[in-house]
Parts: sequence; structure tokens; C-alpha cells
Amino acid sequence: MSQFLQYLVNGLTIGAFLSLTALGYTMIYGIIRLINFAHGDIFMVGAFAGYTVLVAAAAAHVPVALIVMAALVAGMLFTGLLGVVVERVAYQPLLSAPRLAILISALGASLALEESARLIFGAGFSSYPHLLPTAGFGVAGVRLTYAQVGMFVMAVLLMVGLYLFVHRTMLGTAMRALAMDRDAARLMGINVERIILLTFFLGSVLAGAAGVMQGLYYTQINFIMGFLIGLRAFTAAVLGGIGNIPGAMVAGLLIGLLQSFAAAYVSARWTDALVFCVLILVLVVKPTGLFGERIVERV
Amino acid sequence: MPRVLGLVSERRAAAGWAVTLAVALAAPLVMGSYQLSIATSVLTFAMLGLGLNIVVGYAGLLDLGYAAFFAIGAYTSSLLSLEAGLGFWQTLPFAVVATAIGGCIIGYPTLRLRSDYLAIVTLGFGEIVRIIATNLTITGGPNGLYGIPAPGIAGVSITSIPGLYYLGLAFTVAALLLSWVLSRSWLGYAWRSLREDETAAEAVGVPTVRVKLLAYVMGAIVGGVAGPFFAARFGAVDPTSFTFLVSVQILLVVIVGGMGSLPGVLLGALVIIALPEALRAVADFRLLIFALALIALMVFRPQGLWPAPRPRGAPRGRPVPAAPLEAAAPATRGQPAAGEDLLTVAGVSRRFGGVRAVDDVSFTVRTGEIVSIIGPNGAGKTTLFNCITGVTKPDAGRVVLHGGRHGRRVLHRRAPHRVVAAGLARTFQGIRLFDGLSAADNVLVGRYCRRRRDGWRTSRGLTGGLVGVSGATHAEVRRWLGFVGLGDRGDSLARELSYGERRRLEIARALASEPFAVLLDEPAAGTNPTEKNELMGLIRQVRDSGVSVVLIEHDMDLVMSVSDRVIVMDQGQMIAEGTPEQVRGNQRVIDAYLGGEEETAAETVEEVLGWRS
Repeated sequence: MSQFLQYLVNGLTIGAFLSLTALGYTMIYGIIRLINFAHGDIFMVGAFAGYTVLVAAAAAHVPVALIVMAALVAGMLFTGLLGVVVERVAYQPLLSAPRLAILISALGASLALEESARLIFGAGFSSYPHLLPTAGFGVAGVRLTYAQVGMFVMAVLLMVGLYLFVHRTMLGTAMRALAMDRDAARLMGINVERIILLTFFLGSVLAGAAGVMQGLYYTQINFIMGFLIGLRAFTAAVLGGIGNIPGAMVAGLLIGLLQSFAAAYVSARWTDALVFCVLILVLVVKPTGLFGERIVERV
Repeated sequence: MPRVLGLVSERRAAAGWAVTLAVALAAPLVMGSYQLSIATSVLTFAMLGLGLNIVVGYAGLLDLGYAAFFAIGAYTSSLLSLEAGLGFWQTLPFAVVATAIGGCIIGYPTLRLRSDYLAIVTLGFGEIVRIIATNLTITGGPNGLYGIPAPGIAGVSITSIPGLYYLGLAFTVAALLLSWVLSRSWLGYAWRSLREDETAAEAVGVPTVRVKLLAYVMGAIVGGVAGPFFAARFGAVDPTSFTFLVSVQILLVVIVGGMGSLPGVLLGALVIIALPEALRAVADFRLLIFALALIALMVFRPQGLWPAPRPRGAPRGRPVPAAPLEAAAPATRGQPAAGEDLLTVAGVSRRFGGVRAVDDVSFTVRTGEIVSIIGPNGAGKTTLFNCITGVTKPDAGRVVLHGGRHGRRVLHRRAPHRVVAAGLARTFQGIRLFDGLSAADNVLVGRYCRRRRDGWRTSRGLTGGLVGVSGATHAEVRRWLGFVGLGDRGDSLARELSYGERRRLEIARALASEPFAVLLDEPAAGTNPTEKNELMGLIRQVRDSGVSVVLIEHDMDLVMSVSDRVIVMDQGQMIAEGTPEQVRGNQRVIDAYLGGEEETAAETVEEVLGWRS
């Protein structure tokens, strides 16, 4: 039983990172109907940005908590700006082009980010310094570290913040309006280009945060890590009903749990095959995702 | 004139292909073995690109896991030659069958998915296949299989680099020919209509589910040949050859060249495979440069390097002068005699959530009639059409079409394409043409369910005598274009036509299926008075040619002047039925439109509805 709970806790931790990343996929898809293939790599860049700060700061004698926060903020800001740059360069000129063109551009952006990271940091693994305290506590035979709890709380806070932003502010309302009908939103005086940039900024910030946390948690990062995480996060976005923000949060946790339990009870080698099988099954049985709204095509 | 132009460009294309083939044949004479093996890789990806082009380029279905078919072909062939001792050529049919089955497996569950979900499901499928190959013992796990014998011809095994190059060239030419024949076949037209508008394709008679599945199967089969070739060439396969990146590369071959374009695919293969090799001088930066070049290409030339030619009108004959009424009597076979029951709608209901969009509606249309359905917005008229034509399944009720080979046909619960085949065609409220196809091709797709009646013989000689579109079909297309007055617009793209022309083209597309009755959904919406008059004439001509007409319309002038009978709906229910005069005087109808409980002044009625009481 305690084993089971341990897997549950681990799954939720991984799931929190996936949720954060899935949000970017779902927001960007919601607003410009693009599967942003570069998003997983934004996550990877976030991990490397945090790594750079940590390595630089490790020499200085600064409290650990401060360094970690600095790495997190730096990672988030850097990826946020990077997301904006990618959107400006690779996507904005193609917003009204055929859908496939922008998709290919996204594949190009993904490859460009991976290659840049490889050229700068090398093809091997980079190791985060072991900064997080290993201290923790036990509940019902399950061991939790404070760092684990802290990161989970952080992820949840970010998600709640995003939800409030999208549903309670004027800019968030503009975003939702844009997702419904871009032309109508433009006619209502919404600066469409700027709102799209904002969406990319927010989505990338969340992915960057997830990247830094993943680095802190697992300590091993490399230039290709964004691919698999990206696939899983995208699966979560679809599972939650693409374009659906709370759906992506919940589905991210579900995929995390699935991953954790599959690795424990089946085999780590088959984990991703299982993730995709579940995805295909869900899509066949309920093509709009677990919480997606039915899109009725008007005839 | 278009005929001459068509022939010239066709000859030029043929010359281009001949030169390309000659260059490809001569290449080993001048190329070193390194270059030649790159060229063989280019050919492999050209084959894969041709296969994927069928799925993505022709049918417009996004596939991000195409490497799976490549893998299935390669592993099937390798396992059979290693475990069962079969020769390369003997394994080929098995590899093709295995990939075709793979095509069905991936195709079947995804048939009803939106294109974005299709992307992720195909991606997932590709990953699943790769993970299976990595983890099973029989596939050799991560190390893969090796020692696969080379292909042999007449007892001589082909191991030399030029020999393999020529084998690859032969396969590529075969894939090219297959693609070319398919693109000109009925299937090719059906795929393109699917790509343009799936709902409309189904509603004009294309069995979209089967046609989609065939796209996956045909596309997979080509990959199923490339796989064994790849395995036999290197004598080994391992899972790293079938990653997501390979699927992306194959997709790029199709996109960079230009979707649906055969020369484009070849050029794409050259660019995607040979360009990174050519960039070896900048060694480490080549993938980065390649990635940036890809973005630049999409930003500055999203249609690809060598896009498919603008589709020309299918019939290359003399343009037919506009609207030759007498010549256009349709061969509507076996319908009930004039005045007899043709279409019976009995107790049809459909609710959406708590709303009864259509509530127990019953009426009959007789042969040779024009029946109008009117009612305020939201009365359920279009939903009723959708229930009759199979686009929406009714919750209750029966729809029966009389006449035809079987005497009568029950239509409710049938797929839309079967309803068309039974003899009931329709148009849409918001015009739904295949915008990227020529006007003539739009009508041609409307002929899909009568293709067997037209026969397979083609007027264009060798153009795929087996699957090509017959001369009789082209004659039909010309006839219907002429009937609606578009005889000289066959070569124009549907999107280039004026609003009124588009309305008429949609009617021609519906009529091309030789229906007993045609259902027109607000044909006069947005037309000006001149166009409206022409439309009235056209509707009468359709009726006079023996096709009954059911009309949804808001324009009272038009309804009152052309209709034999009028059915009035309000809030899902039929509230009146009768001749225009009877309906005009019906108080419930006036109330439904003007919402008045109290006595409505005659002037208001006249002002709003244009009825003179």
C-alpha cells in the first residue's frame, strides 16, 4: 500500500511538470490552432537557462533558496522572451497561411532550438548541482521531500494564477475572445498580434518553470529532453480537450500518474507505448478529450 | 484554346519527365560511390514521400507517423528472409500486405477524427511501432536485425552501389506511375474533394470513410515497398531508422516540394536528404542552418518549391454555349410517374439537448413538384434537410424515397453518400463547394455515385484505362455546366466564381448525380434581383427536366411564384401546408412570422412579407 502511495506521489510530481508544459500547448492551440512543436524545446531551454544560472551562482556564497528562486525566475523570463521571439519570427508571418505551413515552421523552430542547445551545451548530459535539500517527512509510510512538496505547490500556484488571469482579467478575456473568433476579436478593437504574443509569453513562462523544476528534481538534462516531455505534455493537452485550460492541468497529472504506475507495475520500456495507447483509445471513444466540449460542425 | 494549352503543357511535362529519367539513368556514369549512395537515399525518401503524398497531398490527412509503415515493411521483409528463408522478391508481397493492414489499423480508428487529433494519433502510432520494435526479442531489440540477404535478379544478387541505385530507381519509377494513375482516377478526385470539404464530399455522394481508408492503405503500400528496399540495401534494420524525426523528414519531403505535386516530391527528397549532406562543409552547423532554412521557406514560399499545377478543368472539349435547355433533360431512370408519391417523410423528429429542432414532421413530395419549406429562422428547416439527407440522424421517423431499381428506398439512418446514390441530392445554405478544384471537377465529383453507369472507358487513351475517368463522364460534366449556364467557366477554380455562379455550380454538382429530387437550401440568399430571376428560371427548368425540387427559402417572391405547394414550419413543427394561396391566408403562418397575438394589420403583413391579402 505504501509502495502504491509512493508511486502516486511520484506520479503527481512528474504530472505537475507535465501539466505546466501542457498548458502552453493548449493555450497556443486554443488561440491560433497550432500544435507548437517547439514548445517541448522551450521547456528544454528553460532547463538549460536555470542550469546556467545555478552553475554561475554555485561559486558565490548565496543562500540556496535564493539561488533556486533566481534560477527559476531567470528560466521563466528567458523562455518567455524566447517564446515571443519564436512567435514573431516563425509563426506570425504565417498566421493566415495554410495550416500545414505553420506546422512545418514549428518543426523547423523545434529543430533549431535543439541544435542551438546542442552546439552550446554539447550532446551529452549536463548535471544540475545537487542543491535541493533531501530532508523530508513521512506520511502513511510515504516519503516526501520538502522540495517535492514545494515544487508541487509552486506548480499549482502558477496554474491557479494562469486560470485567474485568463478568467478574471481584461487581457484574459481578450485571449478567450480571440480563441473563439479572431476576426471578431479584431473588430472589437483587440490587438490580436499582441494578445498572441502574450499567449506565447505565458505558455513559454510556464514551460520554462517546468524545465527548471524538472532539472532540479532529476538533475540530468540534455538538448533532446524536450522531445519526449513535449510528446507527453501534448498528449495531456489533447486528453484534457485541446484548448481547455483546466482540462490540461488535470490531464497532465493523469499522464504523470499513468507514467509512474506503468513504470512501476509494467515496465519502464513500455511506458510511452502505454501513454499513446491510452491516448488513442480516449480519442476513439471520446474524440474531444476527457473534458473537451463537443464541437458541432455547422452544416 | 484551353485544349491546345493543355496539350502543350502536357507534352512539356512528358519531356521533362523523360529528361529527368535520362539524367537519373546516366548518373552512375559520373557520380562517385559516396554520391551515388546519397542518391540512393534520396530515392528511398522519394518513394516514402510519394506514399505519404497520397495521404497528405491528395487526401489532405495529416500523418506524423509515416515512418511506422516504413518500419513495418522493413521488419516484415527482414524477418521473413531471416526466419523463413524467403528471397527479397518473395517477401515483398508480404511486406505490402503487412503495411496495408497497418494502414487499416491506423486508418480505422482515426477516420472520424478532426485533423489535429489525427496528427497526434498518427504520431502516437509511429512511436508505438518503434517502441515495439525496440522491445521485442524477435525484432532484435535495440540492435535490430542484421545479415539480411541482398536482393537478387536472375540468381545474381545486387550488392554493388550502382546496382542498388538502379533498383531504387526502378521502385521510385513504379511509385511515381502508381501515384500518377491514382491522381487521375475516380479515387484521386474523391481524395481531393475530401481534402477540400469532407462534409460536402459525403453529401454529394463520396463514401468518405472508405475513401479515407483507401488513402491510408495506398499510402502505406508504397512505404511497404520502400521498407524492404531499405533493409536489403544495408543488410540490417534497427529502430533508430524509424524515429519521429524520420517521419518528420518524410513529411518535409512532401511539404517542401509542394503537396500533391509529383515533381515536387522528387525535388523535396533531393533537398531534404542531399542538402544536409552538401552542408557537410559547415559540419556541426548544418542541422541548425537546415532548420532555419525550413522556417524561411515556409515564411517566404509556403506552397513549396514546386507546387502542384493549378488544376485545369477536367473536360477539355469545346465549351458548351450557356444554358441549352432542351439538351439537358436528365436521364432520371425509374422514378415514379408525375404526380405520384416520390419522397415520404413521416414523423421525423430530432432534438439537440432540450431543444426539439424538428418535431414530428410529416409530408410528401410528388414527382414533378416544386415544394417550398418556409418558416422563421430557427424553425428547423435546415435540420429537417439534414435529417432527410443523412447528415444528421433523426431520433425518430421514416424517410422513404419511392421508385428506382428497388421500388423504394428507406433513407433514414443511411449515410449521406447512400442517400445521394438512392436519388436525393442537395445543396447547402452556406455554399459548400470544393474551392480549390475547378468548376468542372466540382461537377465531376458530383458524378461519383454514377461512375459505373458512365463506364471505365476513357477518351484519353492510355490515361489509366483501368481507373481513369471515362469520356462519358466528361460529357456529363459539360452537359451540367451548360445547363446552369457555366459552360464556359469549367476551367475556373470554384473560389474564383462570382456568388451567383457559385450558387449555380452547387446546383449543377447536385444535378450531376441524376437525382429524382434535389433539395436546395436557401438558393436565393444573397442574390440580387437579376440573379434571383435567373434562379427562378433555373428551378423551373430543373423541374421541367423531370427532377422534383424541395426548396428552403426566405424570399417570399420566389417561393410564391415557383412553388406548387408550400410547407410552413415554426419551432420545429409543421404549422401549415398547402398551395401558396392557402398558406398566404393562414393566420398561424402570419403569427409565426410577425409574432403577433393580436390582430395584425393587413398593411404590416404586406410590408413584412410582401403578401397582398
